[in-house]
Amino acid sequence: MINEEKVILMTKLASYEKRDEDKYRNIDSYFRGDYIILQVMKSIVAATIAFLLCFVMYILFHYEELLQNIYQIDLKEFFLQKVLVSYAIMVGSCAAFSYLLSAWKFHAAKKSLKNFYQNLKKLSAFYQDNKS
Amino acid sequence: MTLLLECREKIKKFYRLNNVLIIPILKFMIAFIALNGVNTMMGYMPKLDNIAIVMILSLACTFLPAGFLAFVCAAFSVGHMFAASLEIMIVGVLVYLLLFLLLFRFAPKDSYVVVLTPLLFALKIPYLVPIAVGLICGPLSAVSVFCGVLVYYILGTIIECAPTIVSMKAEEGSVLLIDKIRYLIERLLSDRTMFVIALSFALTVIVVYAIRRLAVEHAWTIAIVAGVMVNLIGLLIGDFKYDIELSLGSAIFGSILAVLVAMVIQFFRFFVDYARTEKVQFEDDEYYYYVKVVPKLSVTAPTKTVKRINTNTQSFAAVTDEQEFTDYDEAQEYEEAEETDYTQSQAKSSKKKSSLFGGKNRSDRDRRKSEAKSSDGADFGNTRAISTERTARPQETFQYRQSSYNTQGMKVGNEQFDDEQYIEGEFDEDRTSEETEDYEELF
Repeated sequence: MINEEKVILMTKLASYEKRDEDKYRNIDSYFRGDYIILQVMKSIVAATIAFLLCFVMYILFHYEELLQNIYQIDLKEFFLQKVLVSYAIMVGSCAAFSYLLSAWKFHAAKKSLKNFYQNLKKLSAFYQDNKS
Repeated sequence: MTLLLECREKIKKFYRLNNVLIIPILKFMIAFIALNGVNTMMGYMPKLDNIAIVMILSLACTFLPAGFLAFVCAAFSVGHMFAASLEIMIVGVLVYLLLFLLLFRFAPKDSYVVVLTPLLFALKIPYLVPIAVGLICGPLSAVSVFCGVLVYYILGTIIECAPTIVSMKAEEGSVLLIDKIRYLIERLLSDRTMFVIALSFALTVIVVYAIRRLAVEHAWTIAIVAGVMVNLIGLLIGDFKYDIELSLGSAIFGSILAVLVAMVIQFFRFFVDYARTEKVQFEDDEYYYYVKVVPKLSVTAPTKTVKRINTNTQSFAAVTDEQEFTDYDEAQEYEEAEETDYTQSQAKSSKKKSSLFGGKNRSDRDRRKSEAKSSDGADFGNTRAISTERTARPQETFQYRQSSYNTQGMKVGNEQFDDEQYIEGEFDEDRTSEETEDYEELF
């Protein structure tokens, strides 16, 4: 006789494997700290590239002023105070956002996988009962 | 209401049976409309404005991941920018790169939101976007909506500035290329409308999502109304502070339209009967569970099946019409109508049979009729039998949907429920949003 609960459980497991398993297994292969650091590093690289693009746009936008005042501008102060501070704010905000997001994703993946394994255990218990 | 629910079930069933075809067709249509939209809006490169190219790329987008569509649309617009002016293309590529690096990489799976947002703006129904996205997608989709709004306004500014940039001449002592780029960047950064609308929409998405996930009654309705209010207030504040180009009439009309569409989405995704809410409590080895159970409103769509019950040369069809009624009166009416039909068909049948088998008298017909009524769909040989199932309550199917009970070791296997039920509670928050995966698959 068909065990309805078992069929539902198997369907659920199959559906999970098809839909989410790859995504979550990839996350599961890391420790929490490693996964978050990797994501934050990616964000820092992306933010650095974005900052360089913004800087190029800034230079293009203000090139006349810069050319006219190139000798009056204290380049050291300009780079330290304006450029570096802007860079730190941009990269810092991206990294912070990435940290929060990856921590949340890791937590969600763990929770989902925990459910998956519990369902597997239940299914295993069904088979054990059938054998005994 | 029963009719609407039946229609919903029919649509759902149709979708379930044909989603292999429906999803690719929808993908193709979205890609085709998006690429045609880019061509119509910009249209600087006649080579790209070719139906064959659009068709081929749309077909490719149908079978490739959603990100490919966003890439193709971006490439199309960059191509048009290049045809208009090299400077425009440089700025366009820079802006796209910034959007990708800073925003889009956080929500890469929402490509359709990024593509559909400008499309709905072009169709003059932009206020639908944040409400619908908040109801269907997650909080990260706010980033995609933000990107989509920026893309629409950036393209609009580029189209607006293109004739000026093309006709610009170098001023004394300046470089033409840099002047043009500076002019375009200046125009883009001075577009306050873009930033106000993008921020307002992103905030609306987050508010709608946050409220619809709350374990309160009528959460979805509250979310829709709150979302519309937040959006309108955000836009009004932006209008007062930055004097943006906002038409209040169109905003209100668009918001009403958004509410109506959101109600339709709610009807398909979260239509429950709060009047029959139950609070149950049980326990397992590790936890106590305090669960609020809200039943879904649903009926079974009527199905008609024709059974051949006699394979003789003089065979007749027995029609089984399975319909479940929410009301006994309705069932009674239906039965009366069927009885009339039965009498007529019986008269025809007996007339026909009298010629075939030498005739049958009225008492024989009545006997068969009473048999038909008593045995409800039994085999009557050469007669035509019609049966109806009567139920006084909507649907007593005892369907147990374990997928709704995604608990950690919760033992609810022996529980029986009247019908399909939606459970609110801490433990199933993640799963409930995933229950209707079929509808999310497209996005």
